[in-house]
Amino acid sequence: MDPSGAEPSDAAVIAASCADPAAFATIFDRHAATLLRFLVRRVGPDAADGLVGESFRIAFERRASYDCSRPSARPWLYGIATNVLAKHRRAEARRLAALARLPRRPGGDTPPAAVDDQVIAQVDARELWPRVAATIAALPPGERDALLLYAWEDLGYEDIAAALGIPVGTVRSRLNRARRRLREQREPACAGGEQPSTHSEDRGRIES
Amino acid sequence: MTDDLEPLRRARPDRLQPDDPIDPAVLSDERERFMSTIDETGTLPITERRTPTIYPRLAYRDEVAALEYLTRVFGFREWRESRMEHATGVLAWLEVGDGVVMIGRAGPEHHDLSSPADAGAVTCMVNVYVDNVDAHYARAAAEGARIVMPLEDMFWGDRRYEALDLEGHRWHFGERLSHVRERLGQS
Repeated sequence: MDPSGAEPSDAAVIAASCADPAAFATIFDRHAATLLRFLVRRVGPDAADGLVGESFRIAFERRASYDCSRPSARPWLYGIATNVLAKHRRAEARRLAALARLPRRPGGDTPPAAVDDQVIAQVDARELWPRVAATIAALPPGERDALLLYAWEDLGYEDIAAALGIPVGTVRSRLNRARRRLREQREPACAGGEQPSTHSEDRGRIES
Repeated sequence: MTDDLEPLRRARPDRLQPDDPIDPAVLSDERERFMSTIDETGTLPITERRTPTIYPRLAYRDEVAALEYLTRVFGFREWRESRMEHATGVLAWLEVGDGVVMIGRAGPEHHDLSSPADAGAVTCMVNVYVDNVDAHYARAAAEGARIVMPLEDMFWGDRRYEALDLEGHRWHFGERLSHVRERLGQS
């Protein structure tokens, strides 16, 4: 939303699009890039191909039932995209496993030309990923959807509730359960140090 | 207190692989396709959508595959907001022109309807008029429809072809010859 208030809200655009369908293009222009990034994070660029369009086509066809008391359509669109993803759980599992196979050091054994913050963040992310991926893979879909909307997409509890069509209390309990699983996953590793074998087990679990 | 979600945030896939490309062409292609969908469906405000007085319901072993097939091969458009997803099967409404077909799963618990793939027989044919049967035929053939009667001009004034879908339901697609001539500028 435009903080200046000069632009009409998503709700106003969607309401107008019921009589003037082409107005819905504004909703695409405002949110398509965000939705594409979300879909790519979840299933990777290949599987995400076409899913943005599918999500927006569904949104367009459901526009008459949009709750116009919500100025931003973003949570609603995240909810639709999440439903679309439900048909692509296998692609998601493949994505989780494929990222776990990335070399720990970007560029393999070749030292990077310069060690900047981005490289450090990347090495850190790759160190963490196998366990994180195993946890994500083991989560029931409802918990996974809520967790990733919260941690990766920065949605708040209210927005997640609106996106997934569930009460806020359910969002809270799903996130609590997911947190507990992440904690349990982490603690044995802290105690036992890093074991290469752990990662191959993780990988097996992701792909199963 | 440490945040249990911190590792998850730090290991977001785009941080893992920052050069993971999002091709800008993907978005512009999607936008183009999306806008053409809007143009097609946009002429009719959805609040005015009505189910015709008579419309068939077809049964499939795999109604989800049928949905994909009928939209891809025959160009039907689904009323996405109407779809009902039950544990026991999906119900969907597909629109073409001013007609609608409903599709669902076959079986004794689904109005005792059978798929031709199980029954070993087809007991009805659905007749559909389209705007351009030549283009429709080309698309269906290219997408792998089983053509059982080729495109032909018939004495009763239709250009038509017949095809079987993925489970053997029989479809008749036609266009009035007067419309064909008009379309080709030969009126």
